[in-house]
Amino acid sequence: MNTETTAAGVERTSNSFLGDVWTNFMRWNINAIRNPFVVISSLVQPIIFLVLFTQVFGNVAGGALQTNVSYESYLLPAIAVQISLVVASSSGIGLVDDIESGVFQKTLVTPMNRAAVFLGKTLSELIRIVIQVVIILALGVVLGANVATGVLGALAIIAIAILFSLWFLAFSNTVALITRDQESTIIAANMLQLPLLFVSSAFLPVSAMPNWIQTVAIYNPITYGVDAARAVMLDADVMEVLDVTAFGGIWNTLVPSLAVLIVLDVILGAIAVYMINRASSASVQ
Amino acid sequence: MSTNSEDERRQTAESDRCYAIEADRLELTYADGTEAVSGVSLSIPKGEFFGFLGPNGAGKTTTIKVLATLLSPTAGTVRVNGFDVEDEPRKIRQSIGYMAQETSVITEMTARENLRFACDAYGVPRGDRAGRIDELLDLVDLADVADKRAEGFSGGMKKRLDAAMALVHRPPLVFLDEPTTGLDPKARNRLWDYFEEINDRGTTIFLTTQYLEEADQLCERLSVILDGEIVAEGSPDTLKREVGGEILDVELEDGTDARERAADIALDGDLFGDDPVVDVTDVGISVTSREARNRGPDLLVALRDAGITVTGFNVRSPTLDDVFLAITGEHIDDENDGFASAAAGTEDSAADQATAPDQTTAADGGDL
Repeated sequence: MNTETTAAGVERTSNSFLGDVWTNFMRWNINAIRNPFVVISSLVQPIIFLVLFTQVFGNVAGGALQTNVSYESYLLPAIAVQISLVVASSSGIGLVDDIESGVFQKTLVTPMNRAAVFLGKTLSELIRIVIQVVIILALGVVLGANVATGVLGALAIIAIAILFSLWFLAFSNTVALITRDQESTIIAANMLQLPLLFVSSAFLPVSAMPNWIQTVAIYNPITYGVDAARAVMLDADVMEVLDVTAFGGIWNTLVPSLAVLIVLDVILGAIAVYMINRASSASVQ
Repeated sequence: MSTNSEDERRQTAESDRCYAIEADRLELTYADGTEAVSGVSLSIPKGEFFGFLGPNGAGKTTTIKVLATLLSPTAGTVRVNGFDVEDEPRKIRQSIGYMAQETSVITEMTARENLRFACDAYGVPRGDRAGRIDELLDLVDLADVADKRAEGFSGGMKKRLDAAMALVHRPPLVFLDEPTTGLDPKARNRLWDYFEEINDRGTTIFLTTQYLEEADQLCERLSVILDGEIVAEGSPDTLKREVGGEILDVELEDGTDARERAADIALDGDLFGDDPVVDVTDVGISVTSREARNRGPDLLVALRDAGITVTGFNVRSPTLDDVFLAITGEHIDDENDGFASAAAGTEDSAADQATAPDQTTAADGGDL
């Protein structure tokens, strides 16, 4: 082990970037495990949606779908996206909690790399998304959904859920740093979630909905997350909001959806990184 | 002039060996224009138990945050453990412990896990961790509850855990920002013992406090800060000597009128040889004079002759509260977390009370 002695006579092993990431990753994992209520409730809402929607709307919705697709299969990718939305929205809440309790400041006076601090926290949230999406996919299959592209497709849906979560994760942290208030952060995240889900392609084909919703859905990021996951799930070009034909098959959905998500992730991610840098820098604001 | 700069460098190296903290005309102005610290200079030798004393909003926390690299100074140079706060903040962070005013522990974790997290954060060598954690748990009396989650801890227990977290890497310099605020006397005494113990082991301690008793008991040297400026420095005894003599407190039976008359009698040239300082207090008068012990009885006689009833009297050595009163015209009030105006007639107290909350707000705005 690398031990360095500073001029001040302090002995410390050199903190590696990855070591700092791991420290924070594990800290937030413990946090999640110790708050089982939060973890479970973030699973319960999507599960209720999955069960209720398929039971209540299953027969009616079936008519709006293309032939030979069950509503279970149609809805499941949307629920996976919903899960990543719910978990991502808790990210800012954790940050505000840290700021309010002083643990954030405590972290800033340690020699840990600051980027590593946030990376570790984010990775812990992504792991939660992976685990919860796996659970919901398994449950969906039990209820009769079918992943047309098989195990590889299931892995792709998990990857899409993560790609989708990043912009909302960044958004949640940005709101947290602007409001610095737990309730505002929770309200901002929850207020957006449900309406955004409903005015997207999540629950029904956009073409079955009123014109204004069709217009909103084009500008709603959830549409692109859901469409990408659904294309993989059904092995079909499911995108209605944009008419892309250049790539063939499901790629006509995947390429534009993923492009939109990546652009969103980069823009909102940059804003969040800027806010985080500002919050942790020593210069007076 | 290369030789000159080399000399300077050598001098800097020299002073780095002796001083834990050197601040030269440190200033900090918040974005809203509030000047929280205006020209504070400090030289704190290694191993010293240093006290930074002042009322709420005086600039204590702002100063400590600059020293701990949480805020960048607006002007002035600051070196901590030989490193410049602007150039090498990370080296400073490696070599200091910091206990913030607000207790901060990770409540979902046990005491032991909190300390393990701190060990990870400060890069304590792996082989040393288990032993050091046990030692610290013993030191702060949390060994019994080491594996209980911190959310169930009392305020005092959390404070002690917080203190232990600041020490896992055995820093040569520890900042304690009002470490005992809000604790009951028993818990406070326990922490004091503990701070003295780590100071005995050679750790430099920078403590801010508004408790005079705390500063008096613990600190070898004090600086008193008021409105962002240092207004007095020295050992507690030196500062007390500056008050100029001893204090005779006289309690009177009658009202304000009698107190005013009594004050006039005490000020009468012949009674105390030197120029006594006379304050009208809530219950009587208080006379500060080198002759307080010798001439005190004469005052009592004079008061009786004037028909003023004395219900009690006491000659005592000055406390730091008297120092504060002498320097600032204000009592520092350890009951009420802030100012209590001194004698009814003190002039600046109203103005100070008006400015103090502003500064507190500004400091909060800069908090992270």
